[in-house]
Amino acid sequence: MATDTLKSRAGASGAPGGLRRLLLDNGALTALIVLVIALSALSGDFLTTDNLLNIGVQAAVTAILAFGVTFVIVSAGIDLSVGSVAALSATVLAWSATQAGVPVAVAVLLGLGTGVVAGLVNGFLIAYGKLPPFIATLAMLSVGRGLALVISQGSPIAFPGSVSHLGDTLGGWLPVPVLVMVVMGLIAALVLGRTYIGRSMYAIGGNEEAARLSGLRVRRQKLAIYALSGVFAAVAGVVLASRLSSAQPQAADGYELDAIAAVVIGGASLAGGTGKASGTLIGALILAVLRNGLNLLSVSAFWQQVVIGVVIALAVLLDTVRRKAGAAAVTTGGAPGGRGRQAATYALAAVVTVAVVGATSFLHGGSSSSTTPRMGLSLSTLNNPFFVQIRAGAQAEAEKLGVDLTVTDAQNDASQQANQLQNFTSSGLGAIIVNPVDSDAAGNSVKAADKARIPVIAVDRGVNKADVDALVASDNVAGGELAARTIAEKLGGKGRIVILQGQAGTSAARERAQGFANGLKAYPGVQVLAQQPADFDRTKGLDVMSNLLQAHPDVQGVIAANDEMALGAVKALGSKAGTSVQVVGFDGTPDGLTAVKSGTLYASVAQQPTQLGRIAVDNALKAVQGKKVESTVKVPVKVVTKDNVAGFSG
Amino acid sequence: MSNPDELLRIEGVRKTFPGVVALDGVDFDLCRGEVHVLLGENGAGKSTLIKMLSGAHTPDAGRILVDGREVRVHGAQDAARLGIATIYQEFNLVPDLTVAENIFLGRQPRRFGMIDRKRMEAEAEILLARVGVHVSPRARVRELGIARLQMVEIAKALSLDARVLIMDEPTAVLTSEEVDKLFGIVRQLRADGVGIVFITHHLEEIAALGDRVTVIRDGRSVGQVPASTPEDELVRLMVGRSIEQQYPRRRADRGAALLSVEGLTRDGVFHDVDFEVHAGEVVGIAGLVGAGRTEVVRAVFGADPYDDGVVKVSGDRLKRHDVNAAMAAGIGLVPEDRKGQGLVLDASVEENLGLVTMRAATRSGFVDRKAQHVAAERMAGQLGVRMAGLGQQVRTLSGGNQQKVVIGKWLLADTKVLILDEPTRGIDVGAKVEIYQLINELTAAGAAVLMISSDLPEVLGMSDRVLVMAQGRIAGELRAADATQDAVMALAVSTPTAEKNTAKEASRGH
Repeated sequence: MATDTLKSRAGASGAPGGLRRLLLDNGALTALIVLVIALSALSGDFLTTDNLLNIGVQAAVTAILAFGVTFVIVSAGIDLSVGSVAALSATVLAWSATQAGVPVAVAVLLGLGTGVVAGLVNGFLIAYGKLPPFIATLAMLSVGRGLALVISQGSPIAFPGSVSHLGDTLGGWLPVPVLVMVVMGLIAALVLGRTYIGRSMYAIGGNEEAARLSGLRVRRQKLAIYALSGVFAAVAGVVLASRLSSAQPQAADGYELDAIAAVVIGGASLAGGTGKASGTLIGALILAVLRNGLNLLSVSAFWQQVVIGVVIALAVLLDTVRRKAGAAAVTTGGAPGGRGRQAATYALAAVVTVAVVGATSFLHGGSSSSTTPRMGLSLSTLNNPFFVQIRAGAQAEAEKLGVDLTVTDAQNDASQQANQLQNFTSSGLGAIIVNPVDSDAAGNSVKAADKARIPVIAVDRGVNKADVDALVASDNVAGGELAARTIAEKLGGKGRIVILQGQAGTSAARERAQGFANGLKAYPGVQVLAQQPADFDRTKGLDVMSNLLQAHPDVQGVIAANDEMALGAVKALGSKAGTSVQVVGFDGTPDGLTAVKSGTLYASVAQQPTQLGRIAVDNALKAVQGKKVESTVKVPVKVVTKDNVAGFSG
Repeated sequence: MSNPDELLRIEGVRKTFPGVVALDGVDFDLCRGEVHVLLGENGAGKSTLIKMLSGAHTPDAGRILVDGREVRVHGAQDAARLGIATIYQEFNLVPDLTVAENIFLGRQPRRFGMIDRKRMEAEAEILLARVGVHVSPRARVRELGIARLQMVEIAKALSLDARVLIMDEPTAVLTSEEVDKLFGIVRQLRADGVGIVFITHHLEEIAALGDRVTVIRDGRSVGQVPASTPEDELVRLMVGRSIEQQYPRRRADRGAALLSVEGLTRDGVFHDVDFEVHAGEVVGIAGLVGAGRTEVVRAVFGADPYDDGVVKVSGDRLKRHDVNAAMAAGIGLVPEDRKGQGLVLDASVEENLGLVTMRAATRSGFVDRKAQHVAAERMAGQLGVRMAGLGQQVRTLSGGNQQKVVIGKWLLADTKVLILDEPTRGIDVGAKVEIYQLINELTAAGAAVLMISSDLPEVLGMSDRVLVMAQGRIAGELRAADATQDAVMALAVSTPTAEKNTAKEASRGH
């Protein structure tokens, strides 16, 4: 196998001692190699050129962010804002190019400039305002995300086509994001190793006061360091948006933690003074290899997070042990203590291998037979009962039909979904079912699947700018109209209501809000006191409703864009719910239906998520077998109230 | 063998670390009611030995006996149980807890599961009275000066009913007044029957306080002598050769004034400080800790601001609070806190040596690292830095070699006025002489040196003129010829006033 050639090539170079030294000197590299060997043993799809390029693409954004964060961490700071700054920069670029009519070249400069400015603000607060870096960049994390939402008004903006080429491939095989990652990595290595500011980072991180008393202009350097981090974040944001051909205000959410993890796995210390660009690249690759491998092995989405956490801890642990051994080795030259420690390092490496192999094969759970059709289902999130029910319906149907179904969870992150779809495509599945995080952003990935002649079924949400074989959905706009009509009728055509909206930037939130507005047009007597987002989340629904009650104690009705928020609102209303205030939810989840039964929730506009899942798998199988499928399959939506709840189940 | 007064005996102890033999056959014993001085150069193995007694290291071979029974000390708890307490140079105190909490840390008296503050503070008060220090048990440790911190450490040791008290260079950071007070406490403890292991680099303290001396060289105990042994004999035992001259000052020709400071004032810290340092001259600044010496030189260097006054280098006025302006004019500062302010400890010798010259070695953003490497190599060779290579972390160098690196980075920048703040603190005799030689070479080459030192013999031995500071003012100036320890101390404890200052101005001719 290919791993063997890799090994023998290294051996043939005539420096086995050199290789051992290299591995010992870099715990992260050892961990990466162990992972690659383990995964190629476990999955035949892993060690192919296509898949390795996929991993490169999937690592690119994290790696570019992490290069910037490396500068900051080496100088003993921290930058939590890079994810938000990436999203903001991409949004500024897209907005100025497509909506403000600025020439694309200028828009690119504006996007990069946004990163610089955000970094300078961070640096200014830290160097001159004496804020702890954690706090200053935490503030920027929130400000950056907020501004991205403000500029985009919560909706994704199409990315200018010429810039979107950054997400394409060169010569049909070399992905440009990988190229950008390599270039940015070389720049980072050059900055760290050769430039005045780079060497200053090590001095400042090692001992800020000594650096200052040696004539380094520490405050000015810090400004530059955070600005550099901002530029790298902006580049990462542009690459991310070009992959999706769309700038998403919610993009790169939580990526700062991945970036920090990559830097630390790569051997940098959060205490400052150490760290290398090469280490950071390895750290980012470890994260990408893991996600990719676990996808290919169809490890359950929930277990993936557990495994990733364990591997992060093990990689850093390995490095710590290695470093202790290394510190002893400086003075040794073959003294007895050194060998014991080396043995400990090897033992730990062995434990990591066994753990990874064991865990993955255990979680793998036997999907090796190739006679049954294989399908992948990428869900936007599993953080919400609605999607869990889609999964349940799909899995039940798959079992019934004898289909091998792999389910992944994109955690509401369009770019993670792109990675998962890419993995599905490259492992040659029979069909792909996608529940897009964002309809525009899924376009590129679906196009790639179409090219590979893999049938794609969209479920719950459509895909724009690409062909799907079928869309299985309940109509959100129609559902929204239904919800508006239900509450208006209940209130007798006039009254005061508030609306709890879904997470800004998601298509479900937009479409349902559209439906609410359409439906209410027919009832001029109904007055909307307030509309606030509560992110589809029960806790936020509770908080937002409590706040609204302070401002509008006389409210008579609530429309919530999903049942979770509706149930939060019911909690906030207490005994008013179902008596003086009527609440209408959306989705018809089991919890929602229970509340309808007990009367606290007046009605829920029920979709039938298990039906969605079931029908999607059905259609996918038809498509695999070459049978004709209808391009749109409507799953009926209906209003469930106390009267008809008994006969209804998702 | 069975001396009933014997508290502690160490026989043939050996300890190796990978690649180095730290201790090789060390014998040592301690009796009730004695001060046993442990003498040796840095790196001789003193620290390893006391870490073995406090449980931080375990010996590879040899025996440790307490009260005639062989024991194994595997950790701090073992040491505490055996009645062995250690006061390290770096104190083990939690800055934001009170004095009483620090003394009883981990062993606070409890009532109903809650800490009994009243009892704890009362007991702390008794202990503090025993060491003769006036500190409230409720004071935060952060607010205490270094001498008081040490007293708190001693009180903490007493609270453990320590029968063996190990003190690692307790006088290194104290003024002579504080040293006297410490000696009083040590003598009191000795009278109470405590056995004390005392580590010091100050030979004169041995005769003043010690009973016996064990000399350690290169990991071996090379002799046990009475404390009355003459100093040059002790030095010979310690370094294995005799040092001709402890302060080898060679006076250079005095040139024009390089650094002049006029009326430098920071309200509440120092006032109306005037002095000049000429080319080829070493000017010493003596005074008690807290007299404002470090604050003045930091202000001169631009590290801290000042409210009033002028600093000139070769007649050009320097911008206030601007390190880079001071550096551009040719001033360099070797700070008091070598590890905290002088070095990037985890960086290599090469990087530390190149820190000051990095800017100059930068062309359009890129550092010429080859030139930096060549320069570092030259400087390390010139200074005789003992190291495994330029890539070695400075953290792992001995104190003397670390100090050479700090000085070296300024020498590379062609510094004209070098300010040394306690340049030989915690450095062994051999390395001290090397640093004095460096000072000679500098002044011979026409540079000016301003040196703060709390070590009076050093100030007197190495300076051409001595400024004495007291309470933030210059209390007087003495020529090397007229300066005696008594004269310096008399000025250091005086209360200078603004009038006296002007009188001094008038009397100071050139």
